[in-house]
Amino acid sequence: MKILLLLFLVLTGCSNTEHDMVRAFTVHTPRPFGYVLGDEIPQQIILETASDVALQTGALPVKGTINRWLELKQATWEKTEIPDGWRYVIDLNYQIFYAPLEVKMLKIPGFALQLSQQGKISSQAVPDWAFTVAPLRELAVRKDDNGEYMRPDAEPNRIASTNAQIAFGLSASLALAIAGYLAYLYGYFPILNRSKVFKKALRKISRLGKGDMGQILAAVHYAFNQLNGKPLFQVQVADFLSSHPEYTALKVQLEWFFAYSNRYHFGHSLVVIEDDVVRLKNLCQHCRAIERGSR
Amino acid sequence: MNSTIQLTDWLHKALQFEQRINQVVIGQQEVVRLMLITVFARGHVLLEGNVGVGKTTLLRAVAHGLGGGYQRIEGTIDLMPSDLIYYTYLDKDGKPRVDPGPLLHHGEHLATFFFNEINRARPQVHSLLLRAMAERSIAAFNQDYLFPHLQVFADRNRVEKEETFELPAAAKDRFMMEINIDVPSSDSVLDELMFNPRFHDTDRLISQLPDSGMEYTQLNGFAEKLQQNIQISAKLKQYALSLWRATQKPQDFGVTLSDVSMPQLMLSGASPRGMSYLIRAAKVRAWLHSRDYVLPEDVQAVFVPCMGHRLFLSPLYAYRHEQLLPALLTGLLSAVAAP
Repeated sequence: MKILLLLFLVLTGCSNTEHDMVRAFTVHTPRPFGYVLGDEIPQQIILETASDVALQTGALPVKGTINRWLELKQATWEKTEIPDGWRYVIDLNYQIFYAPLEVKMLKIPGFALQLSQQGKISSQAVPDWAFTVAPLRELAVRKDDNGEYMRPDAEPNRIASTNAQIAFGLSASLALAIAGYLAYLYGYFPILNRSKVFKKALRKISRLGKGDMGQILAAVHYAFNQLNGKPLFQVQVADFLSSHPEYTALKVQLEWFFAYSNRYHFGHSLVVIEDDVVRLKNLCQHCRAIERGSR
Repeated sequence: MNSTIQLTDWLHKALQFEQRINQVVIGQQEVVRLMLITVFARGHVLLEGNVGVGKTTLLRAVAHGLGGGYQRIEGTIDLMPSDLIYYTYLDKDGKPRVDPGPLLHHGEHLATFFFNEINRARPQVHSLLLRAMAERSIAAFNQDYLFPHLQVFADRNRVEKEETFELPAAAKDRFMMEINIDVPSSDSVLDELMFNPRFHDTDRLISQLPDSGMEYTQLNGFAEKLQQNIQISAKLKQYALSLWRATQKPQDFGVTLSDVSMPQLMLSGASPRGMSYLIRAAKVRAWLHSRDYVLPEDVQAVFVPCMGHRLFLSPLYAYRHEQLLPALLTGLLSAVAAP
């Protein structure tokens, strides 16, 4: 029995399972000096394992505060396949918030990587990493009381931006002009349009004859609707004249126009004669004269 | 030719009838005109107005002028459908009796039925009335009762909200118009109503109304003829269609209301039944203006009373219903052009 026990102890003592699980382990760290408050310190851990070994990624450090002055800002890992095994690259990015009054040595605390192989758990320690932090403040005691003790950095020289400003000004004016033209086309300037509604109507109906009575009436209606700001119907003529008193002189013609249009559009078939076209064109010309302020 | 003569003949009687009613119910010319339109369009009416503005007098005057049975019932929270159909009592010999209720009392001669404060009645009563309105018939005592000449007038009081049941959308849609009756604003009319003893006794006032010469039994036939004879042009159809579309998507027609996101405003626009009522009413108005074709102004004149109770706003804006709806209706009329 004692022999068996001795044999077991010898065998277990000779086997190096951890060594088998981790084939390579490297921690890449930057220079260990020359840091000040707010600096970021990257750390890269490269781990190569056998193919049946898995890294317990759940046990890796997580983003967040590690201690009073140290924060882990980023923690990522990547797993790639290598011949007969796996390669893990763990990137950690720390930020320090320590404001020392003199050069001081600090340590990023180490941690353990958890590995599992067929239900067996093992760990690989990542050691502490020591570095020095320098104060950000001026610490030498001044002999005189003149001048600023603490001062901001000197302002950087400005890059010449005259060309960019000119280019910006030109493109902004061009964009504005295009937007204005588009708004004009969309009819967003009703006041501008209202001052020439009958000009447009007149231009449109001037080349139309009695066969196009529908188009002539539509053009005149459209002009009145534009001028009124909303559709104008026969029953609203009196209201229209009170809001546009300059057209009062045309009251009779207006009433004739609306009655005629109603009969044409909604009544029984109306025989259009040349005289109707002339009357409509006359009405439109009178309205245009009023629009121009010459009547 | 005969139809034209008949239309002219009836028009003369109708205008005379309107004039006489205007002498009984003064200062309500617009309301009387709308009532006349519904009479000839054979549509039911939802009246809205405060107490004592002349709703009942107006209805009694119309019923008196047209003849036929007139019945009235008050909506209360405990009113049941059976109360409209029959009532039971003990007669002078102490025997139980079942007599016809207000709906059946006049049988098929019932011409005007006034349901006062309809929103106080329960939904069961509404549903019975809906059938009477839509089909002009009800089933009772194992048989169907027909009311071919029935026109229902219902009144709802908007001032009081306690113990009331809002009419469901389906019920509202069956009314052709919702007519608002306000207190007349003219001083001379108010003066007459207050100090002229002629207006103090409504029974005598109504009994003095001469016969209109229009028999209620002929109204259905004439209304049908009227609808056939008044023409609607293609342009007007286009206008009515645009108005309909505008009730569904007012934003597409450039209608804007303050503090309202227009695409979210409407829950539902006008129903097909609502639009057909609108055109029927517009045709009657055209006829009353001695025309045999409909103009946009006819549609506009009946648009608000025909559409006001048919448009439903989304819950987001429903609480501002009373403020938004009139503005929306005016906006719709101002947004759609014809031609």
